[in-house]
Amino acid sequence: MLGSMSDAPFTQLDTAGIARALSQIADRPSDLADVFFERSETIELPPASQAPGFRVWREAGLAVRLVREGRSWLAGRDHIGPRTFNDALRRVARAMPRAPYPEPELAAEPWDEAPEASEVLTFPTTLTRALRTHHVDFSIDLTLRRHRRWTRVVGTQLASGTESENFYSCDVEMPWGRYGTLLEAFDGESAEDLARRLVNLYRARDATPPDAWRGVSILGASATAILLHEAVAHALEADTLAHSGHPEAALGVRMGSRLLDVFDDPASAPEGVKRAADDEGFPVVRRCLLRSGVIEQPLCDTAWARRSDRLTAGAGRRGNRHLAPGPRSSHLELVPGELSRQELFADAEGGLYLPEADRGHLDPITSEFALHFPYGHRISHQIPGEPIGPCWLKGGLRDLLDKICGIGAQSKPAGAGWCAKDGIKLPVWATCPEIRVEGVEITP
Amino acid sequence: MNGGGSIAEVLDRLSRSGWREVEAFHKKGRSRTMRFTPYSDTTSLRQEEGWSVRAGDQRRSFFYAASGTPDPGVPWPEADGAGLRLPSARPGSPWSAPSNLDAPLIGEGEARGFFSGLARELDNELAGARLLSGYLDDGSSESHLLSSREVATTVRHRVASLHLEAVGSGTESTGVVLDIAERDARRFSPAALARRLADLILVAEKRSSRSRDRGELLLAPVVASGLLAALSDLWIGPNARQLTVPLIDRNGRIGSPALTLIDNGRLPGSVLEAPFDGEGQPTRKIVLVEQGSFRQPLLAWWQCGSNPKLASGCSLRPGWRDLPRPSATHLYLEPDRTVRAAELIQNLTRGYYLIGLDGPPRIHSDYSRFAAPVRGFAIAGGKPTGTVARVWLVGSVSTLLNGIVSKARDLTFSAIGGGMVGSPTVLVKGLELRQQT
Repeated sequence: MLGSMSDAPFTQLDTAGIARALSQIADRPSDLADVFFERSETIELPPASQAPGFRVWREAGLAVRLVREGRSWLAGRDHIGPRTFNDALRRVARAMPRAPYPEPELAAEPWDEAPEASEVLTFPTTLTRALRTHHVDFSIDLTLRRHRRWTRVVGTQLASGTESENFYSCDVEMPWGRYGTLLEAFDGESAEDLARRLVNLYRARDATPPDAWRGVSILGASATAILLHEAVAHALEADTLAHSGHPEAALGVRMGSRLLDVFDDPASAPEGVKRAADDEGFPVVRRCLLRSGVIEQPLCDTAWARRSDRLTAGAGRRGNRHLAPGPRSSHLELVPGELSRQELFADAEGGLYLPEADRGHLDPITSEFALHFPYGHRISHQIPGEPIGPCWLKGGLRDLLDKICGIGAQSKPAGAGWCAKDGIKLPVWATCPEIRVEGVEITP
Repeated sequence: MNGGGSIAEVLDRLSRSGWREVEAFHKKGRSRTMRFTPYSDTTSLRQEEGWSVRAGDQRRSFFYAASGTPDPGVPWPEADGAGLRLPSARPGSPWSAPSNLDAPLIGEGEARGFFSGLARELDNELAGARLLSGYLDDGSSESHLLSSREVATTVRHRVASLHLEAVGSGTESTGVVLDIAERDARRFSPAALARRLADLILVAEKRSSRSRDRGELLLAPVVASGLLAALSDLWIGPNARQLTVPLIDRNGRIGSPALTLIDNGRLPGSVLEAPFDGEGQPTRKIVLVEQGSFRQPLLAWWQCGSNPKLASGCSLRPGWRDLPRPSATHLYLEPDRTVRAAELIQNLTRGYYLIGLDGPPRIHSDYSRFAAPVRGFAIAGGKPTGTVARVWLVGSVSTLLNGIVSKARDLTFSAIGGGMVGSPTVLVKGLELRQQT
């Protein structure tokens, strides 16, 4: 359903003219000046009973930024054009030359395609069919969204290509709770996967939470992805590390089990959301966060990377044009281990299998960590058995990551969701295997 | 995205296309924000503009929102789903715009000076305490609304919000968070905020030694407001009256005579004060609970069935991206103008002064019981004797509402769920504190 405009709304920008104009305000050697162009669209189909029935949000705008010696100035506008660019430029400038360069050409491609998304309209029927194959019958209220965004960064020294993302989100309200996820597509395969997850929640809806447990627990790929996002990615964001000192000091510090090799690799994310450059226009890298459990490279944006030769930019993300970039993960990967599923579940009789987590929290000051599981299973005869109700995994971060004692060999896309750190909503993705932990406390 | 048109043209275009129910909304605003940390600061100057349309008939409808100026020539989406009904124009009572709507936004130097001063004051209050981060947003906006039902309103707002995170110097210190809002950023006082942060840090560093305790409990405005907001289903919406029935005692009351709850969208001097709500309906003062007796719930125009007199302008519409939804505007517990908060503390012979919530209160699904994670000071003879942290304030909802003994005059609002919820310091009896496991 992507129209021709979607491919490259910012191909006609006069990047040389923009760079020349930016150079007027970046008048010190260490200054960084850039302009961030953004166009986005969200199409939403709410539950059938709600009006208005079909909802569309379309936005376009830009933000000019100047970074100088630990300070940043940002001017955002809800329109793309030469005058708004020049006005934003003047707002962030510490001084403007008496004879400024002429306004650069800033013509974004017109946005005249009709807002349509047939795959959003047909997905409720596809999902209902998928649910019926499980022989269950319960009511659901579905809110479905398609998200598209195009961004481009032009600076005094570099101009990235246009980055685009295209993905879907789904919120399901059920009589016993709520479920939300991000999807790569609204198609038969994703409907079947979603139906299976909803049925699991349905079957565990009245299950009793487990008593406090410190034995073997196996975390499914989705739960592992959320654990890594909360416990590794957030902990290794440069601004989080700065709460307790310079982020550079974390390099080489052991953070967890030697089995842990964790990368953030935006370029290998699912097809619709993979990226070549971050939201500051820097090329993304396959960033090794943990190698054998040791911190190798934290998540850094430009501001942090400019403070140390040992920190690498390329992980700057912006919630939207009006917000300054910050260091965030995009697509986490846990390198698979060697354990087959049978080996992962070996000697785990009476243990817990926790396929999904729905929320987690890391206290950046105390490093106390909590992860919530909406349901799980008691392990019986080396497979997930009877369902158990909601429970928590809580403890110190280092202790928890140390107790990962087995990693499955089979990796898969898992745990996609919204990250809402500091109130900035960003989609995050992951590819993970299942993991085995021992001696971590699981409580009701 | 810059159509250069007006919402009148948008309304006209859609009406001519045959849509019977059409509403167009346009909002422009500007703001200065500063994010402060010990290692950097970011100043942002935003100029935001956008518009939106709700259109439909009895069978189907759509919503379209876009940045920039209104554009009647955009390709509209297909309508789908449920039909749309919009409110008719209703006259509002006279209203005078507050004088400080036009005050200039806080300057960059002022904002930087504010944070530097706050960090200094915090260290003075509590040696070694640090400001981890601060976020100040000072903005003004003007919105226009037109509809096919002759609604035509203009509303201006001026709001400043502040988010602070701080930590003490102790090894067991956890971070504390403070969120407040004012009409004008210049009303934020570094000295007063430093005192509040220092108190929160102090009580966060130590755990209570008692596993459970009772006594007189003094709830600071932020704690009482959080509880009122968590119980909002008892005051807001068409189900509210039904939900309060189990709480009614033999005198016909749900709470003590000190419980008077009001919602007022045009409360003078308040942050969201406005003559009309997000759907162009006039705002007004409504008494929801009067001296313990339930009077009426807070209802939007479409929630009051055959009795439109019950309706109040209480549809929130924070921005052009948002659909209007019913909510508290300024919901508050009426203060006692004759009592100072300090007097309530001095008169506390044995009890606790709870000054902060560590998370949202939990309410049992039938509104019978509640639990709120709190922190505060133990008080004896009107003086603090220790701190309590990581404790739950627990009890029945009925005990909470009936246990309100007295109130102070320090009415303070918190931004909760898009609206403002406020309370003075209140003295409550009959509740219990329990150690968190």
